[in-house]
Formats: sequence, C-alpha cells, structure tokens
Amino acid sequence: MKPASALCFILLVLTGFCFKNAANKKLPVKKLTLIFHHQIGEEELVLGNPVKNILGETIVVQKFKYYVSNFSVTDENGKTILLPAQYYLVDEADSSTKKINLTIPDMIIGSIHFLLGVDSIKNVSGVQTGSLDPLKGMFWTWNSGYVMAKLEGTSASAATGGHLFTFDIGGFRTGNSVLKTIDFKIPKAGKTIQEINIVADINQWFKNKSEIRIAETPVCHGPGALAMKIADNYSTMFSINSIH
Amino acid sequence: MRVTKNIWVLLSIIITGVGWVTADNTFFKPKPVKFTVPKGWPQPVYDFSQNPLTEEGIALGRKLFYDGRLSKDGNFSCGSCHQQFGAFNTYDHNLSHGFNNSSTTRNAPGLFNLAWQKEFMWDGGVNHLDLQPLAPITAANEMAETMEAVIAKLRSDPEYRKMFKAAFGDETINYQRFAKAMSQFVLQLVSSNSKYDKVMRGEASFILPEQLGYDIFKKKCASCHAEPLFTDFSYRNTGMPLDPYLKDYGRMKITGNANDSLKFRVPSLRNVAMTFPYGHDGRFFSLSNVFEHYRKNMVTGPGIDSLIRNRLPLSNFEIGQITAFLYTLTDSAFLKDPRFAPPGYENNGKPPADIHP
Repeated sequence: MKPASALCFILLVLTGFCFKNAANKKLPVKKLTLIFHHQIGEEELVLGNPVKNILGETIVVQKFKYYVSNFSVTDENGKTILLPAQYYLVDEADSSTKKINLTIPDMIIGSIHFLLGVDSIKNVSGVQTGSLDPLKGMFWTWNSGYVMAKLEGTSASAATGGHLFTFDIGGFRTGNSVLKTIDFKIPKAGKTIQEINIVADINQWFKNKSEIRIAETPVCHGPGALAMKIADNYSTMFSINSIH
Repeated sequence: MRVTKNIWVLLSIIITGVGWVTADNTFFKPKPVKFTVPKGWPQPVYDFSQNPLTEEGIALGRKLFYDGRLSKDGNFSCGSCHQQFGAFNTYDHNLSHGFNNSSTTRNAPGLFNLAWQKEFMWDGGVNHLDLQPLAPITAANEMAETMEAVIAKLRSDPEYRKMFKAAFGDETINYQRFAKAMSQFVLQLVSSNSKYDKVMRGEASFILPEQLGYDIFKKKCASCHAEPLFTDFSYRNTGMPLDPYLKDYGRMKITGNANDSLKFRVPSLRNVAMTFPYGHDGRFFSLSNVFEHYRKNMVTGPGIDSLIRNRLPLSNFEIGQITAFLYTLTDSAFLKDPRFAPPGYENNGKPPADIHP
C-alpha cells in the first residue's frame, strides 16, 4: 500500500466515525397541510376594509391573530396520537402563517384536534422564543400570560378614543381559562388527505351563545368573565371548507 | 521514507487538533457559577437548570441592569429605581419617577433573595423572574420603551454582541437571552449576612433590646413575615384604605376575584431600615408610621386579613424593642457588595451626600 492510499484509508475510517448512527426506526409519516381562511360571514376578511358584522355594526378589522397548538390526530379505531408540541401564531397580516405543515403518522385519520391558545404550562415557564416570543405582541407584561386570540380595529359604534374596539382574549388559570379544544371529524377517505382548508368566521365572536355589541362592549383587555364569554363565542368559529 | 514520516507527523497534528476542537472542553465555554443556598434556608424556587449561571451571563446581566438605553430617552436604567444603597429599592421615594416626568403608582420594592420568590410585583402579576423586566421597560410611566427597540439597540452595539457571544455561545440577541442574563445578575442579590443571620449562625449575639424585640416579633409579626426570608409571599389586606388617586386594588386586578380587593404581597423585612418609605404605594414614611397603622389607623372591616381583624395591639415598649430587632436585619455587606455595583463603580455603594435618612 502506498503511503498516500494508506492515508486516504485512515482518513476515510476517521470520517466514518464522525457520523452518528441514524438507524433509529420511525413509523412512516406523511405531511398534512392546514390552510386557514378568514371570513366575516360569507365575505373574505380584508384588513382595513369596512364590513358589516352579523349584528349590523360596521367594523374595520386591523388585527386578527390567534394561537393554535398541541395538535393531535385520532385514527379510525379511536386511538389518539399527540403530535410533537408546536405553537403557531396565525396572523391575518402575514399570509405565510396561515398555512401550517404538520407531520402526522401515515394512517387513516378519523379526526384532528388542536388547542385554540397556548397551554397553561407555557404560560408559567418564563420566556419562550419563536412564535411564543413575548415580542410577538401576544403577551401581557403586567399579568403574565398569553393573549390567545386578538381581534382589533375601529368601528363607528365604539364609544372610545379613535373609535377603537380591542378584543384581547386571554386567561389560562382555572376559573378564567379561555383555552378551547377544537375537534374536527374528517369525512371518509381520510387516508389520502394532504390538505385541509379551515374557515375562521369572525362573526362568531359577536354572535353565538351571547351577543357582543361593540356599542356596549368595545374593549376586553384582560382575563375574566368577559374574555371567557367572547372565547365561548369564538370557540365555534372554525369549520372545514374543503379537504384534498 | 521521509514522505511517509512527514505524513504521519502531519496526521497526528491534525488528529490532535480536531480532537481538541471537537472535544467537550471548557476552554470556549462560559465559566459556571455555583448558587449557594445559605445554611438553614429552603431550596430556591427558581429553576437554575433552565438558566445555568455563568460568570459571563452574570456580567452581561449586570451591564444590562445599569444601562439607561433600556429606556426610551436613555435616562432610566433598572438601577435608577433599584439602588444598591437602598437594598435595591428607590431610596427615600414613595413612588419612583419615570419617563417624561411621570410617576409610578407603586413603591419600588427592594430586590434581594429573588431566587426564592415565585411571583413578582406587589400584586404577583408576573409569574416568572425572566418575565419581570418586560413590565417596567414597556410601562409608559417607567422606562416607556418597546422591547423591539431595546433589542435593536443592543444588536447595534458591538460590545453587547461580544458579551452575548461570551455568555451564550453566539451573537444572537433576543428577549429570551436578555431576560436570562438579567435574571442571572439579580439572582446574585442574596442578602443573608445581617446581624440577625450572624446570630442565627452563632457568630454574634443580640443585645437585650434586640433579643426582646425578636421574641415579640416571633409572637406578633412572624406569621406573615416568616423567617428566614421574612415574608410568606402571601397576599393580604392589611387595612390600608384605597388611595382615591392611585385607585390600586392590588391582587384583585390579577385574579379578578373581589375577595382579593386591596390585597398586596407581604414584603420581606430584610434590610427594612433602608427600604423606607413603606407600603405598596410608599404611604408610610417611617417604621413608626407603620406601627401606628397596625395598632391604631388600620381600616378594619370586610376583607381584612383574619390575623389582624382587631388590629395589632403594640405598646410603646414593644415598638421600641421590635424596631431594635428590625435594625439587625440590615445587611451592610450586601448594601456595599462591589459585585452588585454598576460596572466600573465598584466602590460607590453609598447613598448620595444630599440624602439624610
């Protein structure tokens, strides 16, 4: 063996040791994309555009964003599999956030579940990064905790400075929790689905179990009874539009 | 065979070099710092595993703590309202001053023994030490700055980039790292060397009034101001009537529960001689004001804490002895510890000359 080839051989062996053994066997997985569409009734939401809500109040939405997290899927036999903990901030102002790519087990999916909001653990675990970074503007500094969902804008009905209406909905503790679990049954042919289109209807914020009139209630800025009432309303804002 | 020999020499140098760089050596890493729990104290509640203390992290936190650029106009650092000679309260001020001639609505509490504290602010609204800096920095009547702007200012400063790299391994500057460095510094503020502590450790003894005061204290005060931290961290209504201008309902603002109206956190009495004025809004200018409140001026009625439902009877003699005892809680080594002074001002741990306590 020539010195050069001996050297090559030794280097090769050394290089081989540098790579970690990646033989961990995993279950087959596939990609599932969720696409969120924001509407007011049948109309598509356009930030800055005046539109009548279900109670007849004209509103101009400037901000609409909410957290979705803790995804899980249930197979045909009712077995639920938790997906790795991920937190997404869906923001109307940033279309890239309205598309969420999940990696799910390659099986027939009977239903899909997620949390509308950020679980209580992450509300008491100090400073987070990424979508949970307090700098995202979805964190209360004076009463630690995430704003789970935010709907803000102007309305002539709002008797406030600048006619602002601001619904910042949060609260994670027992007694004032606004956390909502969203469940979707997937119709037949769940095996091949790759994309689910979900509609969020802002009208639900204003009229569902209770009526929230901007003329009477233009502001919600903290955890409590009003926040829970609005959260009860918006808990049904999601519906499946189409599945591909 | 000279070529072969050269190759072998070269190869051994490469292997040694690669080994040294990739091995888990401490040469490039921040130097760990051990957190010492004073003898007889409970375990801290702060989770150090999520934020291991290092010399570099603490140094960075200290620079941040004393940097006025954290505020909108550059005037207000954390240290401007949390002054070391006042055990990190705002010395001699009922309410601290903030941006643009504004006043805060509460008395800045002293900062010490924060590793044992679970919730912060007089109402306990902040549930983690790492989150605390957000509140004063962004409050319009305090530092009035946005966190985004603070982070941008830090990113543009090469000195900070260097210090973040030294503390965290690379030059990334974000709020999480900012907060962790800040926590690392304030966690160092352990006050455990007062005369009281020395007596407890058997290194000193009380003089008679101090001992008598300690005995009375244990009977009349210690159920809320529990040793060794001199607070049980609970929230209580001590009969301080609502200030009509400040309209501060305390804990109720956080819980939304009417039963929590006018409840505020029991403050620690360590260094109490230095942390006047007292009360959540600094309404008591001296210890004697506080004693008069408890024995005479308290507004009793619904919502009052059950332990002081009938006020707190205290004779003049008792007040004198308790005061003597409370003075033993002053930790002068802590008040002058050069490690906690602004960087470069290590020997300046004394009050300004124009202040006469």
